[in-house]
Amino acid sequence: MNKRMKAPERRASILAVAKVLFADRGYHGVSVDEIAKRLGVSPAVLYQHFDSKEILYESVLNEIGCQRESYVDVVVTGPDDFPSVLARMTMVYADSVIADPDYLRMEMQAMLEGALMAQRFFESRWKSFSDFIEVSLNELAQAGKVNQINPRLASLMFQGMLREVLYAKCIYHSEHYRDLSAKTLLEQLIQQFLITINYQGHS
Amino acid sequence: MMNTINLELDARGLNCPLPILRAKKSMSQLDNGQTLKILATDPGSVKDFESFCKQTGNELLQSEENNGEFVFLIKKPD
Repeated sequence: MNKRMKAPERRASILAVAKVLFADRGYHGVSVDEIAKRLGVSPAVLYQHFDSKEILYESVLNEIGCQRESYVDVVVTGPDDFPSVLARMTMVYADSVIADPDYLRMEMQAMLEGALMAQRFFESRWKSFSDFIEVSLNELAQAGKVNQINPRLASLMFQGMLREVLYAKCIYHSEHYRDLSAKTLLEQLIQQFLITINYQGHS
Repeated sequence: MMNTINLELDARGLNCPLPILRAKKSMSQLDNGQTLKILATDPGSVKDFESFCKQTGNELLQSEENNGEFVFLIKKPD
């Protein structure tokens, strides 16, 4: 391990290693000693950058939870109808998660542990996505283009279905879905969702 | 010089991509050279509208924040 690493680099390397360990075992399953050992430094070096394990954990959550997918391209690059925008948003979101599956684990653990920072995952990573579905479904229901459904619940259900696909492909490597690509599964999921809400936008 | 506002869009309380989607729709209702005013509350909208204008060729005349509310003026090119 390079002992002469500069402070920002050292901080980044601590966050990267801590993220992998926390993602794997949660806050309570990892000790500071273990993170230090994995980095090849003494725990004292860690404490120079983070006052406590709690603060280190919060910093990891903050970094991963505050990222924000940009959906500007999604809007600019194609048609505006609900299924098209939903499909493009889903792909942007899925690509971002597939590139960093630890996000899924951290999100789940933070929520289950009741970490205060868990709210950030909702606000930054998926509120805009679920809001888009909820607001659009409200408008479509008023226009008679979908069933009279609860848009909030439908939106959360979509997020749940999306996570099932992402967990199956990125975390569990589920055999059941082995022969289908994430893209194919997501396209099927969107089709299923549109059928279930009885989307009539094309008529 | 004051900018003439031809259309106003209230996107307060909405998160990306909804303000951008609505702005795109509103811009399509404008003639060339006309200006859309957008009100928003999503802090991410500052970057989003910059990027939107860059990608669509519209001109971002103004981007201001006032007590947590954002005002954007976007002009459709002549």
